Parts: sequence; C-alpha cells; structure tokens
Amino acid sequence: MKAEPRTILRFLLEYFDIIVDLYETQSKGGVITREILSELTSKHNIDIKVQLVDYKILSPVNDSYEIRTVYYNLIEFIQSEFKPMLPETIEKYHVSISELFRKIKENINGDKVLLNQRLTELSNEIRTFYEMVEKNTISLLNETRELKANVKKIDYREKIVRASRWIDEYIIPLNKILDINHSSSIANKLYDISEYTNRYRLTTDEENTRVLFEKMYFQLIQVNDNLLRQSKILTTELLPLIERIRTESIILTGWITFLKNPYKQKVPRMLETKRHSIYSRSTFFNAAEIFEQFKNDVDVYFDDEVNSDEKWIFDKEYYTTKLKSNLPVPDFFKWCNKTLKEDYKKVEIEKFFALTTLAFDEDIERDFGAKPEFEKLKINDLTLTYPKITINKQHGIS
Amino acid sequence: MEFPNHHRQIVEDLTSGKFVLPTERTYAVLKENEQSYNYFFKASFNYELRLTQDFAYLVSDESNEMLSRDVCIFIALLSYELDRDGKNFLERIQFSEFEIEEIENYFTNSSYIDLILSNKQLKDAESRKNFINTMNRRNIIEKTGDNRFVFTSAHKFFMDFAADIVKYENAEKE
Repeated sequence: MKAEPRTILRFLLEYFDIIVDLYETQSKGGVITREILSELTSKHNIDIKVQLVDYKILSPVNDSYEIRTVYYNLIEFIQSEFKPMLPETIEKYHVSISELFRKIKENINGDKVLLNQRLTELSNEIRTFYEMVEKNTISLLNETRELKANVKKIDYREKIVRASRWIDEYIIPLNKILDINHSSSIANKLYDISEYTNRYRLTTDEENTRVLFEKMYFQLIQVNDNLLRQSKILTTELLPLIERIRTESIILTGWITFLKNPYKQKVPRMLETKRHSIYSRSTFFNAAEIFEQFKNDVDVYFDDEVNSDEKWIFDKEYYTTKLKSNLPVPDFFKWCNKTLKEDYKKVEIEKFFALTTLAFDEDIERDFGAKPEFEKLKINDLTLTYPKITINKQHGIS
Repeated sequence: MEFPNHHRQIVEDLTSGKFVLPTERTYAVLKENEQSYNYFFKASFNYELRLTQDFAYLVSDESNEMLSRDVCIFIALLSYELDRDGKNFLERIQFSEFEIEEIENYFTNSSYIDLILSNKQLKDAESRKNFINTMNRRNIIEKTGDNRFVFTSAHKFFMDFAADIVKYENAEKE
C-alpha cells in the first residue's frame, strides 16, 4: 500500500459522501461502471479516481470497478445497511466450528501451541458466525418493516412472493440454525462447546490454554444469550409480521393454509353420485370416473394393528364353471347377486361388477327377450337398474 | 303433472354431480322455478339445491369428499404457482385459457411436489389429464380443445372455500 494508514482514513472521512454513493451503486448494480464513477466524482466536483484505486478502495474489474470487500463491509457496517444472507452462507460455519471443536477435543493433550491456535481460530469463527446472524436479523427486520409500511407501493402478489421467500428461505432456516433444541443446529453445537470449555477452563494446567478456554467460555455465554435474543426476534416479531403481510391476499392465504394440511381440512361438499344405470348415456363416463380412481396404483401402508382383508381377485375360471353348471340362467344380474351372496354373504359392488363381466364374454350368447325388460336390484345402499338378460342352456358357454 | 322445460336434463345433470352454469339454458329454468326444484330435490332424493348467481348444485349428507378435496388441491396448487410466477392468479383463472403444457410446467416444478406425488389423481401427467376430464364432466372446467381448457364460473365454489378458511381462522382468533 502506497499511502500511510492515517492518510487513507482521512481520505475516507473527507470523501465519505462519494464513497457511500459508490457503495450504494455497487449494492444495486453489482459493479461501478467507469461512466458512473466519472459522473459521481464530477457531481462532487472532485476527481479522486486515482486515489480510490491507489488506496485500494476500488479494484478494477474489466471496464468497471468494485469496492474491495474490506471497505464494502466497513461501510455496510457503519451504515447498518445489510442485505439478507441466505442461511446456507451462515450454515457453513457449522462445518468449520464443528471441525475445529472436534480437533480440539481429539488433541486436548497434544501440542499446546497447535491447541491454542485452534482455540483462537474457533473463537474467531464463533464471532464471525454471530455477527452474520445479527446482520441477517437486522436486515430482515428492516426489509419486513419496509414491506409492511409499503412505501414502494408493491402490490399484494409481490408482497406475498417476498414474504413467502423470506419465511421459507431465510427465517425458517435461520431459526433452525438458532434452535438450541435442534440437535444439528449451530446453537446446539455452541452449547456443547460451552460445556466443554467450562470444564477445561477449570482443569487445564497450562496457563495460556486455560486463559483461552476461559475467554471462550465467557464469549460463548454472551453469544448464546445473544443468539437466544435473535431467535426470539425471529419468532415473536419477524415471523408474525411477515405472516400478516402474507394474509393480505385472503384467497391465496386460504389456499396456502389448505395446502399445509390438505387431508385434514374439511372440504366443500360435492354431491356423491349414487344412482348408476347400467345402460344410459353417461354409462361410459360414470364407469370411467370409477375406474380412474383405481387406475393408478399407489403404495398403501397399513398400521400393524389394522387387520386388513386379503385383496380379492376375481377368479374368472371358477365363476365361468359355476355359471355353466347353473345354466339356463333366466336373469343374469340376479344370478350374479345370488352367487356372491352364497360365497360371501355380503355383496360388494366391486365384486358384483367383476362378476357381471362374464356377460361380455364372446362365447356367451345373451337373450334380451322380444321386448326389453328392466329390473331393479339393491346392493347395499345402491340401487341398480338393469336390463333382464337370459343365458340359455343350448347356446350357453362353449 | 307438468314439469318445466328441460326438466329431465336438469335432474340428470344435477344428480350426476354437475354444476349447472348460468350460460346453460337449464340454469334459467332452475332460477325461474327455484322454489319448486328445492322442494322436488328434497322430496325425491333428500338433496338440497343450492343456487347462486354463478352456479347451481346439489348437496347431500353423503358427499364426495375425495373429488372435492382433489379439486381443491388442484386449484390451490395452481393458484399458488401462478402467484409465485408473478401472475394475477384470480384474473387468470377467471378469464384465461390454460394449456395442459402450462399446467404440467407448474406441477412438475412445484415446491409442493411431495403433495403432488402422493395424490393419485395428480401424481403424473397421465393422472392429471384424467383428472382434468373429470373436472370437465363436472362442469368445473370447460375443455376448449384437446389440450386447452378454461375454468367455468363453478371455480368460485372453491375460491369461496379458500376465503372461508381464512375467515374461519380469523373468527377463531377473535
């Protein structure tokens, strides 16, 4: 770095307004183009482009510029203008913290220099993790309050989209990270580390290591308290606030609620069609509707205590033989009903329909009589109207 | 005994679970003879006739909960996905034509994929096609081509239900 640190800090102070403008430009567009940089500096009547690059505040990216991360984070922190981070970004600390903790535990009696280094790094990771959580909560609160006030006049659909995204992508995962009762949460891991450090801050002989354990223990007490507060903000303030925004669309909210538990909600009543006429204009569609329900097999699980009946399979051969032996059959549908009653006592409609398929056998010759006659048959709570079909002995089954 | 015109059609349609819509000639007959039909369906089948400005339908004590639930899931998912896609879901459902391909896109990419896969009427393209035919028969949608359909005014029956969920929840809180 060419300049003295004090010179850079003075420069930052003197041209803070321009630097904030540059920060906002980058926050919105990702980069600062040459044109915008010239425009901003000329707006303030000062050309500081060279210093911005020399002091390594800006770094060139193709034809544009970017504020270096260290300055960007500094301004973000000073301005308290954080963008919500995806919890995945925070979640990575779970790995680094767990790994360092594991190595500390495994090598607690090993090289003390390495142990102290690991303790220091673990402490840094915990601090960074907490700062990220805090920044995220602040940013989510700011965004939510702005949405609630609806300064930008966003329509309800966009509000629902945003609210849903924040809830699903940020708040709920973040809450999981902070949920101490969740065994795989970072908060839970920090609680374990806290217990461990408490034990070793009292029992370790080596002075430096003991001090580091002591320091980390008190850091963790503070961090755990703060995390609990952040978690409370999320669950008691942020979530209800966003939920209220979401309910602005009554219908969509209704559907969202319904979809949370679609099989446990009462649904509007639609007529159950019970009257089936075997031959009518809608026979095909009625049959299709019934069979479509059974067309797609799904895995069905039964609880152990439920005694399920064995699946009934239509034995065509058995019933064909039975029909043969009963020929002539003056009323085929009545015969079906009677046969099932003999075999099963209670006639089920599926069995009945299965048995009636014998009438469609090509080898069977059906006699409908000179004049069509219709009869009624009651099966359980279903009344069927059917044409009388006779199957004669001499033309029967071959 | 004299019955109004289209009496047989009215009885057939309503008892087969169809919504009778204001665009149908039978709806006007029902509207004109509302009181008589109320009595007729009650006395003949113990069904209750409900006539709104958007549709007429029958209700009985034994209802087809499975179909109603699946229609609710279908419309709920479609509403949710349309909204997520930045569309005004109410306007689209009320006024626009849908292509099966569009429905397929929404359902296959939905975040509710677990729910979709667990529902036998909606779990895959073939099942959904059959289900769309079922809704067509019930007059909830009207097919405008092999792969296109529009929602009829009967969709309001389900939208009212969604609104009632929220109203009911709010009432419970109060």
